[in-house]
Amino acid sequence: MKKSLLLFGAVFILAVACLGLGGCGESRSAYAGNYQSMEPFAGKGHVDLELKENGEASWTHLGKTLKLKWRVAEGKIWLYTKEGGLLIVTPSEGGKILSADTTGEWHPGCPPEQCVLFKRVEAGE
Amino acid sequence: MEPKQPPPMGGDNSELQVFELGKEIRVPSGARIVSQGEAPQAFYVIKSGLVKVFRETADGIRTDLTDLGPGSYFGEVALVTGQPRTASVEAVAETFLIEIAKDDFDQVLDQNPQLARHIIKQLASWLVTGDRRLESEVVHQVKLRQISWFDYLLMVGLSIVFALVFNLYNDNQIPLFYHPGGKDAVGEISLSQALDLYRKNEAVFVDARKDSFFKQRHIKDSLSLPVIFFDLMYPMFEFMAAQKGGAKDKPVIAYGGGPSRRFDLELAGLLNKKGYEKAMVLSGDYQAWQNAFPLEGQEGKKPAALPLGFAGAIEWVPLSIFVLLLIPPIRRSPYLSVFCRVLLGWIFIQFALSKIMRPAVFALNVVDYGMMPAWGVNLWSLALPWAELVAGLFLILGIRTRAAATLIGAMNILFIVGLVNAIHHDLPINCGCVGEAGEPVNWWKVTKNAGMLLMAIQVFLYDRIFVLDRGGFIWRERKI
Repeated sequence: MKKSLLLFGAVFILAVACLGLGGCGESRSAYAGNYQSMEPFAGKGHVDLELKENGEASWTHLGKTLKLKWRVAEGKIWLYTKEGGLLIVTPSEGGKILSADTTGEWHPGCPPEQCVLFKRVEAGE
Repeated sequence: MEPKQPPPMGGDNSELQVFELGKEIRVPSGARIVSQGEAPQAFYVIKSGLVKVFRETADGIRTDLTDLGPGSYFGEVALVTGQPRTASVEAVAETFLIEIAKDDFDQVLDQNPQLARHIIKQLASWLVTGDRRLESEVVHQVKLRQISWFDYLLMVGLSIVFALVFNLYNDNQIPLFYHPGGKDAVGEISLSQALDLYRKNEAVFVDARKDSFFKQRHIKDSLSLPVIFFDLMYPMFEFMAAQKGGAKDKPVIAYGGGPSRRFDLELAGLLNKKGYEKAMVLSGDYQAWQNAFPLEGQEGKKPAALPLGFAGAIEWVPLSIFVLLLIPPIRRSPYLSVFCRVLLGWIFIQFALSKIMRPAVFALNVVDYGMMPAWGVNLWSLALPWAELVAGLFLILGIRTRAAATLIGAMNILFIVGLVNAIHHDLPINCGCVGEAGEPVNWWKVTKNAGMLLMAIQVFLYDRIFVLDRGGFIWRERKI
């Protein structure tokens, strides 16, 4: 019993370690940076999207900033709201353009009426 | 069969007789010398080399009994009892034996009382050892078959403790109990009054549910503002509401909560805080709007299926159980139990790992099914993935496998009930099983879960090999 529980403990720690690694997803470095929506959002003002390497993100619109979390998996960017909402973002052109599907569901293509397109903003721009 | 000491063949004429009566034979490595069940023809003394004694059941389970080296002997049990061979013997290395034919063996025993006594003593010793081994095996089997409540407490307790501790330190932690604020926090309007405002176009109707629900069916001309994207989509709502002539002093009616009223109550509360003083919810039956208002939407529209890769592919393997169970020798095989354990364990660990890190996402999936009261959603969303992980690890490691299989079976039954309910009500939801998005709810998913349930039952009934810890905690005495 003791031996088996020890083994369970060891494997459990291993599983939690994998969980930690898996939870981080793929490397974020390719997509970390600043983006701006290509069109005004809700009729006024652009959205500034900042993706930090540490998995934090911010969505700023009309001076109001919303904190998000993000990770990269299956070649897509997964943005999470605090409430559990999920935005699936598809990068293209090597990460210069992001298509954010604001439906909260996955679609094979970003639905045009609910898609926010972002363009990467280089430092100094 | 215990290791046998060399018979007393030295010091008198027995050695001479054995070697004179017998003939030396050479057995190459791997060759079988005697086979279990065959009629005995000879007795053997090992001159050099090494042999292995083993038994084999009809369904192929082999038990190695002992290894014998130079000076040891075998084959006397069947000769003395007149019964078929009780075990098989094969050479592990090149071995030289003295083979004594049955008639000659009887002659040796007749003329050598010392050797006969030794064999009798040896046989008696095996009987005692055999009894002990039988007792030990019966105890083992009893423990194996025993279901101890402690096992379940252990697994459920571990899951809850891990869930609570992990949530404490998780960046994405959620409160243990969700409380939207209650109906007292926001105003209510009756269905007939709301319908009156709708006809006069004097109110803005806003759907609080996820986009997929809104797309499937909503009040005609209503706006969508999913609570989960409130901060993100509020500017869009404000823009759309203004286009519809909505102002902050006009009534805004939030609708679309589930049985827990999670969404509409919260949305009305949030709109209140944004200055919509007349934001309210519909009173009475939360589904009544579907029969009272004109509707629009795309009936039957379901979320698209996101390719899940390897994790998705492996979920199809449990379907093989439906074929395997048709083959009687395989149906009860402990090897099938091992296959089921490893597969179920792997699948449930996958399920768990996809949910543990972000319980809020899974909590919304739980809400989507519309079967869990509001107070239980977060607790369930925290504990279930850990129960999947603990039970999965227990199954793979072979610890408390019957209890682990029961838990996994119970989870499968719950999933199946939830899936069938979702299909029956045509809910446009994701399964929430292994992926965070795009996993469809359909009859294939039900069938896969039914396969997993059958696997859990097979493990419960027949699992007995490759287990680290078969027994339960015995809390009461048992007479064997």
